[in-house]
Amino acid sequence: MTTATAPAEVPAGSGPWQLARAELRRRTSVKVSLFIVALFVLMAAGAPLLSGLGGWSPDDFDKAAVDPYLGGMPIGPLGGISADHWLGVEPVTGRDLFARVVQGAQVSLLIAFTATAIVVVAGTAAGIAAGYFGGRTDAVLSRLMDLTMSFPSLIFMIAMMSVAKDVNRIVLMTAVIGLFGWPGIARVVRGQTLSLKHREYVDAARVGGSGPWRILTRDILPGVAGPVIAYTTLIIPGMIATEAALSYLGVGVRPPTPSWGQMIAESVAFYDTDPMYFVIPSICLFLTVLAFTLLGDALRDILDPRGSRT
Amino acid sequence: MIRYLSRRLIGVIGVLVAIAAVTFTIFYVLPSDPAAAACGKSCSAERLEAIRAHMGLDQPLWQQFWDFLSGIFTGRTLGSGQYTLHCGFPCLGYSYENSESVWDLLMDRLPVSASLACGAAVLWLLLGLSAGVTAALRKDTLVDRVLMVGAVGAASLPVYFTSMMLIYGLIRVAGLLPYPQYVAFGTDPLHWASNLLLPWLALAILYAAMYARQSRSSMIETMAEPFIRTARAKGLPRRTVVVKHGLRAGMTPILTLFGMDLGGLLAGAVITESIFGLPGIGRLFHGALSTGDQPVILGVTLLAATFIVVANLAVDLLYAVVDPRVRF
Amino acid sequence: MKKRTLIAVATALAATTALGAAGCSGSKGQGSGGKNPATANQGAAVGGTPQKGGTLTVLSNQDFSHLDPARNWVMSDMDFGTRLLYRTLVTYKAAPGTAGGELVPDLATDLGTPSNSAKTWTFHLKKGIKYEDGTPVTAQDIKYNVERSFSPDLPGGSDYAARYLAGAEGYQGPAQGKHLDSIKTPDDHTIVFELRKPFAEFPNATVMPNFAPTPKEQDKGPQYDNRPFSSGPYKIESYERGKKLVLVRNTHWAASTDAVRKAYPDKLVVVMGLKANQIDDRLIASQGPDASAVSWGALRPESAAKVLPNAEVKKRLIAESTNCTDMVQMHTGKTPFNEVKVRQAVQYALDKDSVLTASGGPAFNDLSTAYMPATLFDGKQPDTLKIPATGDVEKAKRLLKEAGKPDGFETKMTVSTGDKGRAEAIQQSLGKAGIKVTIETVDPSAFYATIGDTKNRTDMVYTGWCPDYPSGSTFLPFVFDGRFIKEKGNSGNHSLFRDKPTMKRMDDIAAMTDAKQANAAWRKLDGEILAKSPAVPVLVRRWPLVLGTNIAGAYGQTSFGGQLDYATVGLKAPSKSQG
Repeated sequence: MTTATAPAEVPAGSGPWQLARAELRRRTSVKVSLFIVALFVLMAAGAPLLSGLGGWSPDDFDKAAVDPYLGGMPIGPLGGISADHWLGVEPVTGRDLFARVVQGAQVSLLIAFTATAIVVVAGTAAGIAAGYFGGRTDAVLSRLMDLTMSFPSLIFMIAMMSVAKDVNRIVLMTAVIGLFGWPGIARVVRGQTLSLKHREYVDAARVGGSGPWRILTRDILPGVAGPVIAYTTLIIPGMIATEAALSYLGVGVRPPTPSWGQMIAESVAFYDTDPMYFVIPSICLFLTVLAFTLLGDALRDILDPRGSRT
Repeated sequence: MIRYLSRRLIGVIGVLVAIAAVTFTIFYVLPSDPAAAACGKSCSAERLEAIRAHMGLDQPLWQQFWDFLSGIFTGRTLGSGQYTLHCGFPCLGYSYENSESVWDLLMDRLPVSASLACGAAVLWLLLGLSAGVTAALRKDTLVDRVLMVGAVGAASLPVYFTSMMLIYGLIRVAGLLPYPQYVAFGTDPLHWASNLLLPWLALAILYAAMYARQSRSSMIETMAEPFIRTARAKGLPRRTVVVKHGLRAGMTPILTLFGMDLGGLLAGAVITESIFGLPGIGRLFHGALSTGDQPVILGVTLLAATFIVVANLAVDLLYAVVDPRVRF
Repeated sequence: MKKRTLIAVATALAATTALGAAGCSGSKGQGSGGKNPATANQGAAVGGTPQKGGTLTVLSNQDFSHLDPARNWVMSDMDFGTRLLYRTLVTYKAAPGTAGGELVPDLATDLGTPSNSAKTWTFHLKKGIKYEDGTPVTAQDIKYNVERSFSPDLPGGSDYAARYLAGAEGYQGPAQGKHLDSIKTPDDHTIVFELRKPFAEFPNATVMPNFAPTPKEQDKGPQYDNRPFSSGPYKIESYERGKKLVLVRNTHWAASTDAVRKAYPDKLVVVMGLKANQIDDRLIASQGPDASAVSWGALRPESAAKVLPNAEVKKRLIAESTNCTDMVQMHTGKTPFNEVKVRQAVQYALDKDSVLTASGGPAFNDLSTAYMPATLFDGKQPDTLKIPATGDVEKAKRLLKEAGKPDGFETKMTVSTGDKGRAEAIQQSLGKAGIKVTIETVDPSAFYATIGDTKNRTDMVYTGWCPDYPSGSTFLPFVFDGRFIKEKGNSGNHSLFRDKPTMKRMDDIAAMTDAKQANAAWRKLDGEILAKSPAVPVLVRRWPLVLGTNIAGAYGQTSFGGQLDYATVGLKAPSKSQG
């Protein structure tokens, strides 16, 4: 929840997007969260490069860094942080934590972003269709939304992940997370579309002979864009957390691929013996979720001030 | 009202049948073989066939589904020869793993999950709503800011992290609480609470943060509504205005949220139960998944779905009570 | 045969217990001069002699697979069942170390009398043994339980009876009033087994819970699993599956008829579904009621760092060998592993040392340089191939080149979920030689069904084998005899090794009458098979357990995979336990 409400000083006659941008630029929380998001996104995008910089690939074992007589504890303080291993090493295997966190960022964010994209595209399409066409389309889609929302989603996701064997886990996880996410946004968009549908400018377009496709893309879609953007930003943390939860429960990515959730799951057992190993992925997860939440709050305040969510 | 209710109830049953069908298909179509799992390591082909026939897995899928569905209401007799098991209404079948009735297993575990969910719910409502309302009433003050920064932070903390920190701080260092180990309320209410306090806190911190944020914005919106101004103008004391008018109207969106959250949690907080080792429905489910115990998986899914739809229905009905504008 | 059992338990616990007998040859630990810090209590009972009484608490992260004696074939569960709830014809001596492998009569008066060149076995039952309701145990009840284990309603039990009893083919249990004619009960206290072929080691089979008594009137089919009827020192007071099991004394059990079970505690409470690492923490701290507690599952490797440096806790640590060899088995019937050089390349490339570390380190495991565990080699495995413990990547690459695969190849390996860490270590080390391995993890329950499906399985599997008793005949033929291979439900021979000379040699050894000569021959054959590399022996795990401070009479029973011997464990001061 960001606080400021005083109108930003912008030149008169600016468009709504310009206004929004100016407002965003004014907030510290936005700057900080944008910075964090950019940092992790860059980290994810440049993962191979970065781990090359650290000198270790995420799957390389370093036996010299762990003590086999102590259950494979890292040698040295703070989980083996050294010039060689910047964030220390994973206990038992001696794999470089920096390389793994960076690659984990890639996997976690890839899954979260792709799943979000699926949810937003599917949800927006369904919402607009239901809201604009109404009647039977609306009835069918709304029933489908109700049904999907009645599914105990986490339980279903775990179940689907654990029965499917010979598939790409990342793709599957993305699809499964996406499958249960769309009704939320569809409802928002449907409500928004309903209220836009009979605005004068839409009626004008209809009278002017525009086809439904043109009206939907030219008139309705821009109208729902604000809330959709805000909502999108706000569901990303949920997606990241869901990926982590599935990996925590052991139905996530396949070894040796790391993801933050998988790293946390493995490191929980070491939380007291090797706290750094546990803290590092946890902090990454925390910061990312925090940044997206702050960003989403700000976007919602600006783009969707009345709160079209139910 | 009656018409509305009956229409909704039919909807509920439809949803549950659909969910059962989907679950059924996922688990029975995919290539996992519960007969082979039960048969174990040294399993001859004919023994495998016998086991499969015995489990009814040699029947066509639709037949199995129909038997399951009708069995819920009419009961079924399972097994052959000397060993027949009759399972009466509501029959969800028997666990492949330990031959217990799935219904009994669920009812055995439900108190654990329900204790966890309800205790945590009380905590998070208390914490979340008081923080949210306080922040709303002191909008833009330092108190508001501190509360909301705290809420955003707490909501972003991974639950694994919070849980482990609580374990470390309250058990390992301070020695204030025991390691969670479920004790039935009926056995010893005090032990019940002290063993569950930690999981309650872990869950409540996460949810309280979300509720604080939600209730703050909801309260701010409500307090700006004309009817509040009217009430104030009438000279009602501030306390009355806030509690009787503001809270009542401001809490409707919270109610929706609460219904869904509680409904979801009653059927097992899989992660929290797993972190703290509580033998609730979430763990039952997780265990059943790893052993391919399909009747249990199906049972948990149906129970969870039932809680969710019933909670939604309850919320809709409660609206009428809380918000006088709602009529059916 | 007990392999399933043991490995299933091990993996279910996700524990890391690898064996390890003597020193840890290949590892370069900066440890205490090769002395294993975890085995100080080896061969002795920890905590002295227990006092009678009190409540022993068992903390567990899981439920038992089966306590029904007809279905119980998991090492730890067999320990629990046969030491506390029911008695079998013959059982293992309650003693630490190798003495725990000795057979002693239990329900029977002796170890059985063979006749008809070991094709007929006769056992006489002791008089005065009673069930929990005071009715006497009869020979007919043992016959009935053996028969039950054939029922498709009651899967899971050991297959000794099915393997050896005459006329057992196609038998489906007593459900339709059909009985096995090959088990005769001339009177209430005599039972005679007629076998298909001579089996000199039959008494070893009668240790299995199938050979415990179940009265027909008590049989509730599959649900008997939740309430087996007691003939042992304890009976079930309550059993909430997955939550809690409470055992109280069976007042009709008479210590005078039982030379094995000491039955010290008055009550046993098994608390299930706890978190494994919280169990470790509780036992390390050993506060309040936890002082009178033991862990069901093995200590997690993560907890080693809290146990090994702590002298006080180390005093309460037992770590008996599981006696099971973990192996990487390769599909010898298919390219690329039909080529012996490729298999040898895997043998050389594999860095056993890092697998060992992934498995909890040298304290809880021993490297394996031969297939049969050390007990079958008089205490130490030979090292015939002399491959460094960390592997020899250069040699492996050379072998691959000679095999016409200079760029290596891609393959898949199936492992049980609990072995994921070990699998990653294998993946990593084979990768260095150019062998790219994809890991398929499978839940423990589905693991054996998955790798037993010879048509659809992956080319590599990671699994183990444990001998049932100190004889090569319970190891090599099960793992490397091509005639044991089944298309579905295959077990043991996961390298699908069909080597004619090996099979012929096995028949020769099986026909030897001199046990010493046979043992020497098995050892030699072990090395010969190793040279052909159908599988890579990796390590043997231990079963480390931390005991509460109030626990006495505790040691790992070698015959039950190193699990605590429940026949003798008890409390130092019963009054300190919570009832």
